[in-house]
Amino acid sequence: MARFDPRGKANRALLVGVPEYDFKQPDHPDGVSGDLEAVEHNLTGLARSLREGGVFARDEVVVVRPRTVDEFDRQLDTAVKAADGLLLFYFSGHGAVPSTGDELWLQMRGATIVRGGESVFRGSASWKGVLTVLARATAEQVVVILDCCYAGNASTAWDALGAAQRQRTSLLMSVQANNRIDAGGGDSATPFTAQLIRLLRDGRSGHDGSGGGHGGDGGDGDDARDGEGGHGGGIGFADLADRLRAHMSTHHTTLREPPEPWEPQSRPATSGADVLLAAPAVHSPPAPPPAPPPVIPGPPGPPGGKRWGRLGRLGRPVAGRRLVTAVGVPAAVVGLATTAWFTVLGDDTAASCKPPVELRLLTDPDLEPTVRKAAKAYLTSGANRADDGCRRSGITVYSAASAAAVAAFNRQSDPWQRPAGNEENPQRDIGPQPDIWIPASRASVDRARPAASERTYVELEADASPFAYSPVVLAVPQLVAAEAPADRVGSLATLTAALKKREPRAEVRRTDPEYTDAGLLATVGLYGTAPQDPAAAERGVAQSGPPSRTGGELLCTLPDDDAADERTAALVPEFLLRTGVDCDSATRTRRTAAYPDDVPGLSPTFVRVRWRDAGLDAGVRDDAVRRFREWLTGKGAAEQGAAAGGGLAAFAQDGFRGPSGERLPLDPAAAQGTGAGTSFSDFGALSRPERLPEPAGQAAMTAALKGYREANGPGRVLFLLDSSGSMGGFWEGPGGAPAIIVQSLAGLGGTDEYGVWAVGTEPGGGRAHSELLPFGQHGREQAQRTIEASAKVRDVEADPYLALVAALEEMARRGTDDHRPQLIVYVTDDEDNNRLTEGSRLNDLLQSMRGSREPIPVVMASLDSGGCDKGKPDAAVSEASGGRCLDTKGDLVSRLRDEVARTGTGGQG
Amino acid sequence: MRHGPGRSGRRGLRGSGQRGSGLPRTGVRGRGVRVRARRSAGARAGAAIVVPLLLTLVAAAGCDAGGPGAAGGSGGAAGSQPTAGAGATDLPGDIVLASGRDVTGKGGIRQQLIEQWNKEQESKGTGYRARLVELPGSADQQRSQLLGALQSGSADYDVVNLDVTWVPEFAAAGLVRPLPDQLVDDDVIESVAATSRWRDRVYAAPFNSDVGLLFYRRDYLQSAGVTQPDLGKDVRWPAVQKLFDTLDGAGRKLPDAYAKGWTTQLDASYEGLTVNGIEAFASATDGFALTDAEGRYAGSVKELQKGLEELRSRTQAAYTLPDAAQSDEADTLTDFAGGRTGFLRHWPYAYRTLHQSLSEQQLGVARLPGKAVLGGQNLAVADRSKRSGAALRLIEFLTGKESERCLLDAGFAATRRSAYVDDELVCKAAKPAGQATATPTGERTDRMPRDGSGRPGYARGTLLPALENAVQRPRTPLYGAFTQTFTAELGRLQGDKPPSAEELAKDLEAKLRRALSPE
Repeated sequence: MARFDPRGKANRALLVGVPEYDFKQPDHPDGVSGDLEAVEHNLTGLARSLREGGVFARDEVVVVRPRTVDEFDRQLDTAVKAADGLLLFYFSGHGAVPSTGDELWLQMRGATIVRGGESVFRGSASWKGVLTVLARATAEQVVVILDCCYAGNASTAWDALGAAQRQRTSLLMSVQANNRIDAGGGDSATPFTAQLIRLLRDGRSGHDGSGGGHGGDGGDGDDARDGEGGHGGGIGFADLADRLRAHMSTHHTTLREPPEPWEPQSRPATSGADVLLAAPAVHSPPAPPPAPPPVIPGPPGPPGGKRWGRLGRLGRPVAGRRLVTAVGVPAAVVGLATTAWFTVLGDDTAASCKPPVELRLLTDPDLEPTVRKAAKAYLTSGANRADDGCRRSGITVYSAASAAAVAAFNRQSDPWQRPAGNEENPQRDIGPQPDIWIPASRASVDRARPAASERTYVELEADASPFAYSPVVLAVPQLVAAEAPADRVGSLATLTAALKKREPRAEVRRTDPEYTDAGLLATVGLYGTAPQDPAAAERGVAQSGPPSRTGGELLCTLPDDDAADERTAALVPEFLLRTGVDCDSATRTRRTAAYPDDVPGLSPTFVRVRWRDAGLDAGVRDDAVRRFREWLTGKGAAEQGAAAGGGLAAFAQDGFRGPSGERLPLDPAAAQGTGAGTSFSDFGALSRPERLPEPAGQAAMTAALKGYREANGPGRVLFLLDSSGSMGGFWEGPGGAPAIIVQSLAGLGGTDEYGVWAVGTEPGGGRAHSELLPFGQHGREQAQRTIEASAKVRDVEADPYLALVAALEEMARRGTDDHRPQLIVYVTDDEDNNRLTEGSRLNDLLQSMRGSREPIPVVMASLDSGGCDKGKPDAAVSEASGGRCLDTKGDLVSRLRDEVARTGTGGQG
Repeated sequence: MRHGPGRSGRRGLRGSGQRGSGLPRTGVRGRGVRVRARRSAGARAGAAIVVPLLLTLVAAAGCDAGGPGAAGGSGGAAGSQPTAGAGATDLPGDIVLASGRDVTGKGGIRQQLIEQWNKEQESKGTGYRARLVELPGSADQQRSQLLGALQSGSADYDVVNLDVTWVPEFAAAGLVRPLPDQLVDDDVIESVAATSRWRDRVYAAPFNSDVGLLFYRRDYLQSAGVTQPDLGKDVRWPAVQKLFDTLDGAGRKLPDAYAKGWTTQLDASYEGLTVNGIEAFASATDGFALTDAEGRYAGSVKELQKGLEELRSRTQAAYTLPDAAQSDEADTLTDFAGGRTGFLRHWPYAYRTLHQSLSEQQLGVARLPGKAVLGGQNLAVADRSKRSGAALRLIEFLTGKESERCLLDAGFAATRRSAYVDDELVCKAAKPAGQATATPTGERTDRMPRDGSGRPGYARGTLLPALENAVQRPRTPLYGAFTQTFTAELGRLQGDKPPSAEELAKDLEAKLRRALSPE
C-alpha cells in the first residue's frame, strides 16, 4: 500500500474537545448528562503525541475548547485554510443523534436539546456540515477522528461524499453506529483516545504496541498487525484503525444492554493510499514510556482503577457520555459571547494537570539525602508520567529519629492516626503518617511491629529482603590508618586496639543511637556479645558535648577542631565516606575505612505502610506505591526492562552496595575496582573487603538500645522556665513554653527524676527562681497537670545568671555520688540576657562550666530565632557546658524532646 | 480530579440510581440516561446556584436544613461538590482543626480563640468542641500530611489551615469543600479575599495574612545625615537605592557592624527566593501574571526578562549583604537586628520581634517599594468532614471581625479591613499578651508600639495599605512544581557564571511551561 507522507508540508491538526458543559441535568432538563473530564486528558495527551510524532510541527497542532458553534466554525475555517498537506480533525465531547434520524451532532459547551417531533440540537455542530467544510480544504489528505457517542453514525455522511472527496478523506470513528460508550473517569483519557495516543507513541518509537502496561491492557496479542514495516516504520491510518479495532473489541464493550463488543469503525480514503500519522523517530529515539497504565485494565487487573474495568466489562451502568433527551422547558439560549471561550494556545494548550496522589515517605536520617535524591529523580521521570503527560504521584521525603519512629509504629499508631492531646502527637513529633517507610535496617521493621496482642492502627508490609547494603565502618584518619587490606578487617575491639597502638591519643566517636539505625548498629558492635558492660563501652566513646545526630553531622563536625580531626575515628556507614565529606572539603582530614566484622551493616528496606480505615483511594495509592517500589528497588518489575530499578542508580552513585551475595558496590564501575567511574578506593573504602558482616537481628538492636539507655542509670533533668513578663507572648497554646516542657517529658521514664523551676525575681530581691514541680520521680500525667496548673507568667524580670548558677549547684549536689546522666534545660525568650552578660558574669559562668570535672550539660532553648547565633550568650553557655543550643530556626520542640530522651531512660521503645 | 475509586465509586453508585429519567429517542434500543453525581470541576456552576439558598438555610435553621442531597447528592447538580454547611445534620462531637506548629509566640492567640468558641458552644449546649491538632513545623511536611490524609482518609480533619499557595491544589483535588461566598465578604481585604478562591468558588476563608514589608534603621539614616529619615508612604526603589548609597558613604558615622545597604531572603533552597523573585517580577510589569485562571503557564519571555533585570538590579552586590544568598527569614532578621544592614525586607511578625530590641526611634517600617507578595493561611473545610456545618461555623468565628482584631493585636496581619480601621471593634474573646501596660516594678511584657486603640502602631498606616496593594504568587494546583522550577532557575543568578537575563528568561519560560503543563 502506498503511503502519503505529509512530512515537510504545511499540515494542521485541529483538536476540538468539550470537557465541560454549561447545561447539565438534572438542573437543566434539556442539558447534557454531565461533564467529560476525560476529554481534557484526551486533548493534552493527543496534542503531545502529535507534536512529538514527527509529522506535525509543534505550532501546527491547535487545541480548542469552543464554547459556541460560531467559535467552533471559525476555528474549523482557519484550520481548513491553513493546511496544504495533511489536515487532521479530531473531536471529543458529547455526540448526539435525533430521535427520528441518524445524523450525528457534535455538542459544544453551551449545547441543549429541545425535544419535539424531531429533537433540535442547539449549540451543536452538525457533522454533515463539518464534513462539508472539510471537503473544501485544499489539503492533500484529510483525516477525521471522532471520539464520542454515536461516532459510527458519521459514516453515512462520508458515504454520501463525492468520489473525489472520498478519495482523500479518511474517517476513524470510536464506536459503531447507534452505540454509546464509556467516557472513562476524570483521571485519564477516554478508553479510545488513550489507546490512540499509545499507538501513536509506539509507532513513533518503533514499538509494536504489544509492550503495554500491566493488567493486560496494552499487551493484547490480538492486534492485527501487518508486520511488514514496509513503510519504513511509524504508524499510518490503516494500521491505526486496525489496531484500535482489535484492541477495543477485545477489551471493551459499549453501553448497550446486553453489552456489545466495542468496535471502532473506519472509512479509509478510497485512493488506497495510507496516511502517515506518526513518523519513526530519526535520531536516538526517546525511551518508550515505561508501562503506561491501562485505562481500563483487563483481567487480572491491578488494584488501581478496577472500578471502570470491571463495570465496563460486565456492561453494567457506568458513567459515560450519554445522549439525553429534553423534557419540558426549553433551555436558556446559550450566550453567543463575543469573547472567545476557546483559546488557541499553541504550546500551552495543555490543561493543568490535576494534583496527583501524595505519597508520604519516612526514612532514616542517614538515608534521607539519598532517598530524597532518588525520589526527586522518580518524580520527573517517565516512570511517574501517565499517558496524558501528568505526574502519577507526588512524594515528600522526611526523616525522624529512628528509635522514636520505631516506638511510634510499635505503640503509638493510635495517636499517630488520631492525636488526642498536645503531649502525645506523632503527627507533629514524628511527621506525616507515612505511606512508605525506608528504615536503614530491616530489623527495625521487626522492632516496630506491635505485639500480636496489641491493638494497632497501622500495618507494615515489608519487602522480604533489603534493596541495598552499606556496612558501618570505622573511618580512620589516613595518617593513623592501617594500610594493608587484611589489617582493615576484624572485630571492632581489635581494630580499635590497633588504632590506639598506632596513635595513643586516638578516639572513637559514634552517633546518637536513638537517632539513626547506624548509631544503634555501631552500639551493637561496641557492646559486643555477653557479658555486656554498656557503661564501660560508653566510657570508651565518651566525648565532651552531645553526640552528633547523624553520620553526616559527625563527619562535618570533626574538622571543626583540626587536632581532633586528625586523631578521631568515626563509626559511620561506609557510603558517607563518599557523600558525607563535602563540608570543609579543602582542609578536612581524609579517612579510610576499616571494616569491623561485628558491627551489623545497614540494610535499607522498602516498607509499605497502611493505615486502618484509610482506603479512600486504596487502588490509586497502592498502584502509585507499587510503581515507585518497582522503580526504586528493581523488584517485581522484570517486564519493565530498563526502567526497572532506576532508583538504585541514586544509591549506586552514593556508594551503596548490593543487598546480597558478595555485596559488591551497586555502581558497576566501582564494583570492578578499577577502570572508569568512581572506585571505592577513591573515597577510602575497599570494593571487596575480606568479610562484610550480616545485617542485624531485632534482638541485638533492642538489647543495645536498652543497654544504652540504662548504661548510666536513670537520668536527672532540671527544667528552668523563664516566667518573666516578656514570656507572655510565648506562653499560651501548644507552642507555648510550658507546653514545650510538657511535650519533652515524653522522653523520661518512671525511674528518671526531674523537676521544674520558674525563673523570675520578685521585686526587691529574693530568690531568682521558685519551684513549679518538685524534683523527683513523677507519673507523666500528674507532672503535666502540676506544670499546667502552676506555670504562670509573672510581671517580673528574670535573672538567668543567678538561676543557672543555682541550677548547676543543685544538680552537682544531686550527682555527687553517681555517674547518672544529668541535664539542665532553660526555656527562655532571651529578653533578660543582659542580666547574664553584665559585668564578668558570663565569663565567670563559662569558666566554671569548662573547669568542672563532671560538667552538667545545659540545653538553652531559645524562643528567639537567632538565640543560638554565634556569639550569643545562649550559644556560649550551651557550648561550654557540653549541651546543645536550640532556637526556633530549627525544630526546637522536637530537638528538645530528643535531648531530654537521651538523658532519660525514655518512654520510647 | 483524583480522589480514588472508592470515593468516586460511592458517589457514582448513588447517582446511577437515577436511571431512566428520560430517553433520547425512540427506536434505538437500550439508550437509557443515567445521571451520575460524579464530582467534577466543571460541574460547579450548578452548585454555585445552590449556595445562596443554602446559606440562607444555614443561617435560619442552624444548618440542619437541606440534607446531604441538597447539593451534589441525589437531587443535586450532577457532579457538583457539596458546599460546606450543606452537611445538614451534624452529630455533636469534636471539630478537628489541623495546623502547623507555631512557636513564634503568636500561636497562643489561635488557641485562645478556639477556647473562646468552645466556651460559647458549651454555654449553648451544642455539643461541639474544636480541637487543634498540630502538624510538624515544616511546611512541606504539613502539606504532605494534609494532602495524603485527606486523599486516603488516614486521619480525620474537619478544618485544615492551608498556606495560601496550596488553596488551588486542595480545591482542584476536591479535598476541601466550596464555602458560601458570603463567608468572604466585602470587609475582607480584596487582595486577600482573592486567595480564598479557585475557579470562582470560595474554598478557604482567610485566617491570617502576611505581606512583604521594608524595615529600616531610622538612626542609621540620621547618622548618615539624611534629613528626612522617615520613608513615608510611597517610597520607590530608586529612592531606596540612593539611601543605600548614602549609608555606604557614611563611613565611620555608622557602627562597625554595618556592612551593606540591605538584606533579604535569597536562599534558593526554599520559598524565600520565589517570594523575592515574584516581588521583582510583579514590580517590573504592570498586571504581571505567570499563570492563567486555570493555573496554566501564561507568562512571556519579555516579561520574564524585565523581571529578571529588576531582580538583578535590586540584589546587586554593591548594596546587598552577601549572606542574603544563603539567608532565610531568621538569618536576615538576625543580620538586621545585629546592625549589619540599614534595610530589611521581611514579614509583619518582624515588627514585634525587632521592637523587642530596637526602639521606635531606631526602627522604621514602610510598604515595600513596588509590589509586595501576599502570604498567610486560610481555613478550609475538609470534604469528608462529618461536621461540616459546625466546621463552617467555627471558621466563621475564627475569621470573623472580632477574631481578626484579636489576631492583629497579637501580631498577625489581619485579613479584614475593619480590624484596622474600626475603633469600636475590640478584642474581647482573648487577651493577647502585653496590652501595653508598663508596670512600675517589672519589665514590660510587650515593647511593640501600639496606637490609641491598642493595635500595633504601624497597622493602619502601613500594614493595611501594604496588604491592599499586594500581589499573589502564581495560582496553580501545581504550585510545588512551579516554585521548585522558579527557584532553581533564579538560583543560577547566584552562580559563578550567571547567565544573561535574556538567556535565563528563555530557559525559565521553557522550564515553567513544562512544569505547569503536562509533559
